[in-house]
Amino acid sequence: MPDVKLVGLKKSYGDIKAADGLDLEVKDGEYLCVLGPTGAGKTTLLRMISGLLVPDEGQIFFDGQDFTRMEIEERKAALLSQTYALFPQLTVEENIMFGLDIRGADEKLKEQVLISMLDLVRLSGRSDAYPRELSGGMQQRTALARALASGADLLLLDEPLRALDARLRISLRIELRSLVKTLKMTAIHVTHDQDEALVMADRVAVIREGRILQIGTPKEVWDEPATPFVANFVGQSNFFTGEVLQSSPFTLIRTPEGTVLKGRPSELVTGTTAVLGVKIGNTDISKDRKGYLKAKVERIIFEGRNLHVDLMMDNGQRISSKVPSWRKGKIAPGDVVDVYWEESKGTVFPMPPNGLENELKVE
Amino acid sequence: MVEVRLEGVGKRYGSVVAVDKVDLTVADKEYVTVLGPSGCGKTTLIRMIAGIIEPTDGKVFIDGKDMTGVPIEDRDIGYVFQNIALFPHLTVENNVSYGPRARDLPPEEQVRVSRRFLEMVKLLDKMGMLPGELCGGEQQKVSLARALSSGSKLLLLDEPLSALDSRVRVDLRYELRRLAKELGLTTIHVTHDQEEAQSVSDRIVLMRAGTVVETGTPEELYTHPKKIFTANFIGETNLLEGWVLEIKDGVSVIELRNGGKVKVNQSNHPVGDAVVISVRPEFVFLADEGMRAKVTAITYMGTYWRITANTEDEEEVAFDSVTYDENLLTIGREVYLAVNPKAAVLYPRPEDGVQEAIKLE
Repeated sequence: MPDVKLVGLKKSYGDIKAADGLDLEVKDGEYLCVLGPTGAGKTTLLRMISGLLVPDEGQIFFDGQDFTRMEIEERKAALLSQTYALFPQLTVEENIMFGLDIRGADEKLKEQVLISMLDLVRLSGRSDAYPRELSGGMQQRTALARALASGADLLLLDEPLRALDARLRISLRIELRSLVKTLKMTAIHVTHDQDEALVMADRVAVIREGRILQIGTPKEVWDEPATPFVANFVGQSNFFTGEVLQSSPFTLIRTPEGTVLKGRPSELVTGTTAVLGVKIGNTDISKDRKGYLKAKVERIIFEGRNLHVDLMMDNGQRISSKVPSWRKGKIAPGDVVDVYWEESKGTVFPMPPNGLENELKVE
Repeated sequence: MVEVRLEGVGKRYGSVVAVDKVDLTVADKEYVTVLGPSGCGKTTLIRMIAGIIEPTDGKVFIDGKDMTGVPIEDRDIGYVFQNIALFPHLTVENNVSYGPRARDLPPEEQVRVSRRFLEMVKLLDKMGMLPGELCGGEQQKVSLARALSSGSKLLLLDEPLSALDSRVRVDLRYELRRLAKELGLTTIHVTHDQEEAQSVSDRIVLMRAGTVVETGTPEELYTHPKKIFTANFIGETNLLEGWVLEIKDGVSVIELRNGGKVKVNQSNHPVGDAVVISVRPEFVFLADEGMRAKVTAITYMGTYWRITANTEDEEEVAFDSVTYDENLLTIGREVYLAVNPKAAVLYPRPEDGVQEAIKLE
């Protein structure tokens, strides 16, 4: 059960920097999710840890020992890649037990592991099937079970739930996490799905362009985003631009229209241009209460527990809000509403050097 | 006007029934999603509407015209595939103007139409690029613009967002619906993603194992699902088994297998009947009495906390709380949980058990 430490990892493919100085510490027994868009360098990161790829620069430590150039077999790490390679001539059961077979586990343990793995991945009725007889999702689940059963200490999961149906994915999240915890493995799980990361991770590392932007508990990453990108990628955010009036005990910014908006304290310099981000789920609207801004309701979409409300501000900017569904009937398209948020839910950033639009690109 | 009507449309492969006689009318300008787990027949269904697959039973009507034997190119539809299928050697603009070219529109009209749709999907500035130079979400927007530029008022979307990152998917959902409504399109959209279906649809057709389970607006299927399968598939829910203990003034008291008692504002099951209650996590709350359970997990969901607790007979109950006080709630703590009687729905206990009734495949 190792802790893993990455120091200054770099890997380039021509001009593309897949890893651009990655630093990361994963604790023993921790479930870490690496969250980022396609092309952020998530797979490269996992392949370097697994030993499939040698970094151009930097070091990888397992339990304090330098493993940067260690053979794959020495690492006791199981990588579940997106293109899962099952043995076509072996059944589901034989594929899952392959890792345990070569480690000479006793029959009773094997039986137990097999039953719980088949149950977890919902393949109990298909243990005698061959990979070609299974759907893509079932093959993915077989590969997952094999990685879990391999007896590795470190589990490297590359989008393990991506190939699955949305509903199945949701039910497997908790089960996968609790199984990893039961087996006392350390897991590094890369995903592009922010809900998955929030629900599964002890800590989330947000990655973009080969660099870790922020690492923290799901609550920290949600409530105290380090950059506008993080604020928008982990849950959607509304952004407002303005001039900093003060930065403590809370930050005030004034928009070009002269509206003053409030957010958490910051270290921004008075008079500079700043961006205030508020999660759409923390952006509340009301007809009765005074808010920071006024906006007109464009449309209301019923999404189960919430209503998704799209709004148009006077300056032509579109913003959104999510409010509990019981408020249905209290607001309607065409209504002019007040928009507000708790000041602790607003995070203020310096204006990104490449402009806000580039900063927020999600792919 | 584009109305799509299916009369007993089905597809059999030998003895295997992929789709079992579906009746459905999609009204002019309506946005309908066909939702269901893998293998439920939803893709086969949309392909039969498109004319890619011939039905073995029933008929497809578009605008009242029987489409039997009519090939896809003569059905006047825009079709977007799950796997982005652009011409890699053509620029974005030439991909989009493919439809107008095929319709033999004059060259200036081809340019006008394709630029109009590129503007709608906000890709005018990238029209000179090749598809390979765009990211996935942009490529799929080009596919959409190409489907729309054919001039058809019927749009068929076969898992159009499945290949994209989830964050990109969320943004595109709202854009898809906006575009379909602005252009007054009749849209049929196939997906396995219930959140996507809720966000884009006027109406959802939920399928399972080749048959339609239930049809309704997103709100109907979320708040008053007629089937247990629907309750579980759309949104998250707690399914608790019990018996009707008494009925008074339209309110049933249910004695749960987990030992608790809860009230439900529904009285259509007689006293003594075995029932299942479906109640969503946002309608379960901490109380002084009710179901006794032990907290097993506390997860931050951004705007609320999701708490799971196990009852004495190991039934798992999930509930949501907007606030979370570490002094009141910790893992291992015993709590009592109550249910909002207005928001719970009762079902007869399924003969083969609850697990069988909600099974995804």
